[in-house]
Amino acid sequence: MGRIVLDQVSKTFGDVEVIPPLDLTIEDGEFTVFVGPSGCGKSTLLRMIAGLEDLTSGAIEIDGEDVTEVSPSKRGLAMVFQSYALYPHMTVRKNIGFPLRMEKMQQTEIDKRVETAAQSLNLMDYLDRKPGQLSGGQRQRVAIGRAIVRDPSAFLFDEPLSNLDAALRVGMRLEISEMHERMRTTMIYVTHDQVEAMTMANKIVVLQAGRIEQVGSPLDLYHKPQNVFVAGFIGSPKMNIFSGPEAEKNGAHTIGIRPEHTDVSMTAGTWEGRVGVAEHLGSDTFIHVNDTGLADMFTVRITGDISVKHGDKIYLTPRADQIHKFDVQGQRIE
Amino acid sequence: MAIVAQSSKFSTYGRPVLAWGIGLLFFFPIFWMVVTSFKTDADAVKPEHLIFFSPTLDNYLNMTDNYDYWRFARNSIITAVSATIFTLFVGVPAAYAMAFNPSRATKDVLMWMLSTKMLPAAAVLYPMIFLAKGIGLYDTHILIITVLSLINLPIAIWMLFTYFKEIPKDIIEAGKMDGVNTWGEIKEILIPLAWGGIASTALLVFIFCWNEAYWTVRLTTIDAATLSKLIEGNRAPEGLFFGRLSAVSTAAVGPIVILGWFCQKQLVQGLTFGAVK
Amino acid sequence: MSDRKLPRLLQTPAVLLLLVWMLIPLGMTLYFSFIRYVLNNLRRPEWTSPSPSNWRGFGNYEFVLKSKDFFLAIQNSLFIVCSILFLTVILGILIAVLINKTFPGQGIVRVLLISPFFVMPAVNAVLWINMILDPVLGLQGIAIAGINDVLDGLRQIPILGAFFSLWPEFEPISFRATQTSAIAVIMMVTWQWTPFAVLIFMTSLQSEDQQQKEAAVLDGANTWSQFRFLTLPHLGRPIAIVVMIQAIFHLSLYAEIEIVSRGNGNKNLPYLIGEFANNNIGAASATGIFAVILANIVAIFLLRMVGKTLME
Repeated sequence: MGRIVLDQVSKTFGDVEVIPPLDLTIEDGEFTVFVGPSGCGKSTLLRMIAGLEDLTSGAIEIDGEDVTEVSPSKRGLAMVFQSYALYPHMTVRKNIGFPLRMEKMQQTEIDKRVETAAQSLNLMDYLDRKPGQLSGGQRQRVAIGRAIVRDPSAFLFDEPLSNLDAALRVGMRLEISEMHERMRTTMIYVTHDQVEAMTMANKIVVLQAGRIEQVGSPLDLYHKPQNVFVAGFIGSPKMNIFSGPEAEKNGAHTIGIRPEHTDVSMTAGTWEGRVGVAEHLGSDTFIHVNDTGLADMFTVRITGDISVKHGDKIYLTPRADQIHKFDVQGQRIE
Repeated sequence: MAIVAQSSKFSTYGRPVLAWGIGLLFFFPIFWMVVTSFKTDADAVKPEHLIFFSPTLDNYLNMTDNYDYWRFARNSIITAVSATIFTLFVGVPAAYAMAFNPSRATKDVLMWMLSTKMLPAAAVLYPMIFLAKGIGLYDTHILIITVLSLINLPIAIWMLFTYFKEIPKDIIEAGKMDGVNTWGEIKEILIPLAWGGIASTALLVFIFCWNEAYWTVRLTTIDAATLSKLIEGNRAPEGLFFGRLSAVSTAAVGPIVILGWFCQKQLVQGLTFGAVK
Repeated sequence: MSDRKLPRLLQTPAVLLLLVWMLIPLGMTLYFSFIRYVLNNLRRPEWTSPSPSNWRGFGNYEFVLKSKDFFLAIQNSLFIVCSILFLTVILGILIAVLINKTFPGQGIVRVLLISPFFVMPAVNAVLWINMILDPVLGLQGIAIAGINDVLDGLRQIPILGAFFSLWPEFEPISFRATQTSAIAVIMMVTWQWTPFAVLIFMTSLQSEDQQQKEAAVLDGANTWSQFRFLTLPHLGRPIAIVVMIQAIFHLSLYAEIEIVSRGNGNKNLPYLIGEFANNNIGAASATGIFAVILANIVAIFLLRMVGKTLME
């Protein structure tokens, strides 16, 4: 079990309100991702759930029990830190077994559980090494192993992949997703990378300045961003967002069109511009278009390859059903 | 090109020669003390025996008769070791609290601790003598241990604080998640991780205690008098006993100098509160 | 939360101990500084024990301010501390820059250089004032006698001798004499603390940005400009720290002064207090309060300068 309810939770550091009162429910077995730009309070929120940070007001419930005043280790949660936070003076075996030793579990039982965890994480060959002798990916696995052995009601991940290089990150992403499929335990995952959020989550919580901007499934957020912030934050390359006469024609203060929802022609179209930089990825081409009169730069994404040169005249046509409309407050208009 | 060529010439010949020269110059007084300790008192002041002399161990062998060396050495060991242990015993928990559970006042508390170190000892000299005599502790080990601990506590806490600060906060928090309590945090995580820092703090505190020469001189007469007091009391103004005085001086500083060689790196880090790396 | 309170409580023993250590003796000093209190006085035996009935107001302070030793002591304290700071910083930087690059035996030179720092002050003083600086029996005396002997020999040479006869006999300097004893103290403490400065500057130099230096070379900076515009600013912080730590230690310099001249003509504040404390406790306490004030001025200045950067 692992249903976590935040009730009017808030946090102030001195005079600064980092998180204004906030409600959130995380269902049992859900993979929830907190995503937002750095400094948005996502890590603080996670640490409050973990019990590492005091609440200024509000309450946290886990499985119906108020844990606001309960110490971190008694909440039945396990956490994986950005820096892995392994104990450098202990071997991998000792590291993974440490929480069990703290529970005063029998040594034979500890050994058994450590071996099981190590097996599932491919760490059998490294059990007697110290963290200093491991690669980044292996350290990450040890940190996860230390979380798994406790059999927690929920896992908390604090930007666990940001210290890994790009290739490894994709691999670990898959491993964590698979782990979730297998274990079906509640997971809360903090990241600033919207790609991680989109690929891993059942439910994404977009945060900005301590406020929840939107909660929903990845595709919800992609197709129906509730406001300009979410629209700009989710999706890569970024959605083109602009105001002005063209927006008003569509009956909105601001409109947004995703790069992949714009058709391109060299001869005719709704808007006209000049090619700035074209990035050829092979499978896709991103064209950054200048002088459209809409935004400083308008990005389009085309499947496949297209040959355009810097300075070429180009015509853009948005797909009418994919235009996102927002009012003066930046809220979505249906 | 010209500059590079010149500086490399200096690097090959000039730098080593100059550096060795300065190193030897700085070491010379210690070397001279050691050399003199092997001369008889008579030879030590004769110019004709400045360099050539027949070495003798008499000064060392007679150290007990001449100065009652071991009595003072014993007092130095007892007071310095006990004070070091006591300082760490009080300092480690304090530094732990300040490094990992800081409150808003922590910075000010640390600054205040350092400022007690600036309080001139002399200003409280008489009250200390008065108090010590009043409670019957004058010239006792207990008194010297207490005073040595207190004067070194601020520096020890600062050093430990700097070392503890280097332990990533994440590891302590991981410990919290894994279910360690306060005592476990100190025992299972802090001490194993900061072992090097604690050891070098201990070493430095020990050196400072051993060398202390204000309170140990003013608050003792015989029973708790340390080597500082012994040397201070035998300054030999007429140069009569250069040989034996050198021997007892060598015996007083030798172990500490050698100890110092091993902890010079930690010394820098500790004494500069980690601000110089 | 309760699991924060216990860890925080762990600092209370240290805080309480230091608070007691600071407040009780200092409070007594303050009290003694306002009463007549002497250890021996046959005519006025009532003054030999501390009592509020011997209240003297600011009398002790007036007495201290009127004694000429007091201003000499302040002057001397500052002269000694400032000279040592100046010398150790300059020598420290020069030596650190010299031995920072690798050369054969660098490790041994480091060990040789750092050794004086660990010598106990009492031994330091005894060693210097007797074995090295003594005008007759020390190396200084022997060296000068040797030079004079050589000159005497030269004077015997037929023609050249006339020239050397014009040379005076060299006089050894007595460092126990009043004017020179401060110089002796400065010399021995500089010897002891220069290694400390060297060690700290060297550590700091090793963290200097080499790429920045290479960039400077490409920009045409010569060795001096590199030192002046890159190395010196880089050393700013360590210099401040060296100054602060040494000020802490040298303001309470005692053993060296006691051993060199028994304070003869060369008292600093701690020494003067010690002298007063042999009999006139009231005056000793008033001087102590002045010393605290002086230390506080220095401390505030230094902590402002260095302290805050330490916390970053």
